[in-house]
Amino acid sequence: MLTVVLFFLFFSLFLYVLLAGADFGGGIIELFSSSKNQEKTKQTIYRVMGPIWEANHIWIIILIVILWIGFPQYFNIFVVYLHIPITLMLLGITIRGLAFIFRHYDAVKGRSQGSYNALFKLGSILSPLFLGVIFGGLVGGNINLFSENPNLSFKEIYIDGWFNVFSVLIGVFYIALCAFIASNFLIGEADDEDELNLYRKKASYSTIILVFIGLVILAYGYFNEIDFVIDFIENKYSIIAVAISGIVLIPLWKMIKLKRKAWARILAGVQVLLIVSAAMLAHFPDVIITSTQEISILDGVAPDSVIQVLGIALLIGGAIILPGLYHLMKSFQLIKLFK
Amino acid sequence: MENLEAARLQMAITLIFHIVFACIGMVMPFFMVISHYKWLKTRKEIYLKLTKAWQRGVAIFFVTGAVSGTALSFELGLLWPEFMKHAGPIIGMPFSLEGAAFFVEAIALGFYLYGWKKLPEKFHWFTGVIIGISGVMSGILVVAANGWMNSPSGFTYENGVFSDINPIEAMLNGAWFTQALHMTLAAFVATGFAVAGIHAYQVYKGRNVELHKKAFRIAIIFAAVAALLQPISGDISAKDVAERQPAKLAALEAHYETEKGAPLYIGGIVDEEKQEVTHKIEIPKALSFLAFGDFDAEVKGLNDFPEDEQPPVAIVHYAFQIMVGIGTLLAIVGLFYLLSLKWKKWQNHRKFWLLFTLMAPLGYIALEAGWIVTEVGRQPWIIYQVMKTKDAVTPMPGIFYSLITYTGMYIVLTCVVSWLLARQIKVLNQNEA
Repeated sequence: MLTVVLFFLFFSLFLYVLLAGADFGGGIIELFSSSKNQEKTKQTIYRVMGPIWEANHIWIIILIVILWIGFPQYFNIFVVYLHIPITLMLLGITIRGLAFIFRHYDAVKGRSQGSYNALFKLGSILSPLFLGVIFGGLVGGNINLFSENPNLSFKEIYIDGWFNVFSVLIGVFYIALCAFIASNFLIGEADDEDELNLYRKKASYSTIILVFIGLVILAYGYFNEIDFVIDFIENKYSIIAVAISGIVLIPLWKMIKLKRKAWARILAGVQVLLIVSAAMLAHFPDVIITSTQEISILDGVAPDSVIQVLGIALLIGGAIILPGLYHLMKSFQLIKLFK
Repeated sequence: MENLEAARLQMAITLIFHIVFACIGMVMPFFMVISHYKWLKTRKEIYLKLTKAWQRGVAIFFVTGAVSGTALSFELGLLWPEFMKHAGPIIGMPFSLEGAAFFVEAIALGFYLYGWKKLPEKFHWFTGVIIGISGVMSGILVVAANGWMNSPSGFTYENGVFSDINPIEAMLNGAWFTQALHMTLAAFVATGFAVAGIHAYQVYKGRNVELHKKAFRIAIIFAAVAALLQPISGDISAKDVAERQPAKLAALEAHYETEKGAPLYIGGIVDEEKQEVTHKIEIPKALSFLAFGDFDAEVKGLNDFPEDEQPPVAIVHYAFQIMVGIGTLLAIVGLFYLLSLKWKKWQNHRKFWLLFTLMAPLGYIALEAGWIVTEVGRQPWIIYQVMKTKDAVTPMPGIFYSLITYTGMYIVLTCVVSWLLARQIKVLNQNEA
C-alpha cells in the first residue's frame, strides 16, 4: 500500500507541476507578450484552461493532505523550516485567485481590467517562483535544524534554508518550465498562422531559457558542491531522464513544425514528467537535505494501519476522480486533438 | 503579542472567513439547481436569468473558497506543526475523503459552468446537483475532523506516544454526527437567510421585483425549514457536550459551582475575577433538565476542574447567548414566513421585505458565534484531554507578522467578493430596466 500512496503523491505532484504550471505559464506568457497579443493569449488560455481551472489547483491540496497523513515527520520539517516561503507562495496563489475571479466574473468589463491583469501576472510569477524556492530549500542542503544546535539565530533557522542562490535558481527554472508548458499547450489552440507563429516563438524562447537555466543550476551546484546536484549528476536514472528529456526536444520541435498538435502536447507533458522524475529520483527517498544530514521521506512514515486506509481511500478517490476529470477534458475538447 | 496568542488569533480569523465562503459554496448550488429545474420545467426566461446570476455567485465563492482552503490546509501545519505531526495520520481519513469530495465538486463545477448548450440538458442540470451534494459532503467530513478534536478516538495514547491508530474509528468519533448535523443545518439557515435577505432588500427597494421575489422564495424556504429544525439539533448537541465535555458546558453556561437542579442563565455579565454572573435571567432547574433530561441532575461547575484546564468563560458564554438568541429569533421568523404562505396579504407590506432584509446577516453571526463556542470552549486543549494548544504551536517566533499578512489577505478577499457581488446585482437590475 505504501507504493500506492507514494504513487499518488508523485502523481499529484506531477499533475500539479504540469497543469498548474500550464496555468501559471499562461500568466507568464501574457507578461512577456506585446499588448496587442495579450488579450488574445488571455482569451485562449481561458478557453483551454477554464473548465479545469478549479480542478488544477486542487492537486496541491491532495498533495499536502497525503503528506501530512502519510509522512507526518517529513511534513513537520517542511512546514516549520519553510514557513516563510510557503506563506509567500500562498500569497501568490491568493493574488492569482483574486485576479482570476475579477477577470472572469466582474459583471462590468471596463478599465479596471487593466489592474486585474497586472495582479494576475504578478501572481503568476510569485507562485511558481516560491514553489521552486521551496523545493530548492528542501534539497539545497541549507536547512539548519534547531534540534541539533539550539543557539542558532532566527535568520539561520528560518531564512538561510531557502533564501539562497540555489533555491532562487530552482524558482526561476520552474517559471521557465511553466512558460514552456503553456506555450506548447497554446500552439495546439492557435486559430491562424500569425497566432501559431507567435506561440511557436514563445515556445522556442522558453525552451532555450529552460535549458540554459537547467545548465546553470547544474554548473552552480557542481562547483559549489551542493549534494543534491552532485548526486543528481551521479545518479544514472536522473541523468538518463534528463538526457531523454533533451532528446525529446527534437521530436517535439518536429511535431510542432508538422503541426501535429496532439503529439506536441503529449511530448511537452513527457518532458515535464521526465524532469519531475529526475528531480525526485536523484535522491529518493531522502527528499530533505539539511546542512548536516539527509532525511528520508520514509522516516517516521505513518503506521501501517493509516497507510492501508489512505491507500484504499486514494484508490477509490482516484477511481471516481480520474474518469470524471477525463470526461471533463474530453467534453470541452481539451483533448479533441487526440481524436 | 505572544506567539501562541497570535497563532490562535490567526487561525480564528482564517476560519471565520473561510467558514463563510465554504458555507455559501455549499448551499448556493442548491438554490441554483432549483431555479434551473424551474427553468427546464416552465421555460420562463426569468428562471434562466436567475440561475445564471446565482451560477456566477457559486463560481465566485467556489474560487474564493478554494483559495482560502488551500491557504488553510497549509496553515494547519504552519501554525500547529506538533498537532499535525501526531493528529495528521489519525484524522487523515476525513481529510483525504474531503479532498476527493472537493475534487468531485470542482469537476462537476467545470461541467456545469461550461456546459450550457453543450451538454444534454438533464445531464447538465444533474452536474449542478452533484456540486451541491459533494459540497455538503466536504463540509460534513471537515466537521468530522473537528469532532475528533472534541472527542478524540481511534488511538491509544501513552507517555506522549500515539499508537494503535484506527483512522476509521477516529473519523466516526463520538462528536461527528451531532456536530455535522448542527453545522449542515446552520449552513442552510445562514446562507438561506443571507441570500433571501439580499433579494428581499431588492424587492424592498422596488428593483426588478419579479425576479428578486422568485429568488427570495427559493432561498427562504430552505432557511425557514432548517431554522425550525435547528433547535432540535441544538438540543442533541447540548446533551452531547454535557456528557462529553462538562468543562465546556460549564463555560457556555458560566456556571462556576457544581450544583444539583442547576438553573439556566440567560444573558448576564460575566465577571471572571469574582467568578459571578450578574444581570442575568435565571430559570430554575432548567439547565439540569436541558443538559441531562432530569430537573435534579448534577451539573459540574468550572471550579471542579483544575485551573489550567478551564476554558475562558466570558467569551464562550456570550457567544453561546448570541447563537441561541439568534437561532430562536430565526426559527420564529422562519415560522412567520411559512405562515405567510397561507396569509398571502402579509407579503404585500413593505415591512415584510424590510424584516427579511434585516435578517440577512444574523444567520452568519450565529454560525460564527457557534464556532467560537466550540473552539474556545475546548481550550486549553487542541485535542481534548490529550494535547494542549500551547504544546502544538510552531516554534517559529514572529507569528504576529504572519497574523497581519493573513488578516490583510482575508480582508481584501472579502471586500473584493462583496464588491463583485454588489456589481453583479447592479448589472442584473440594469439589464432589466
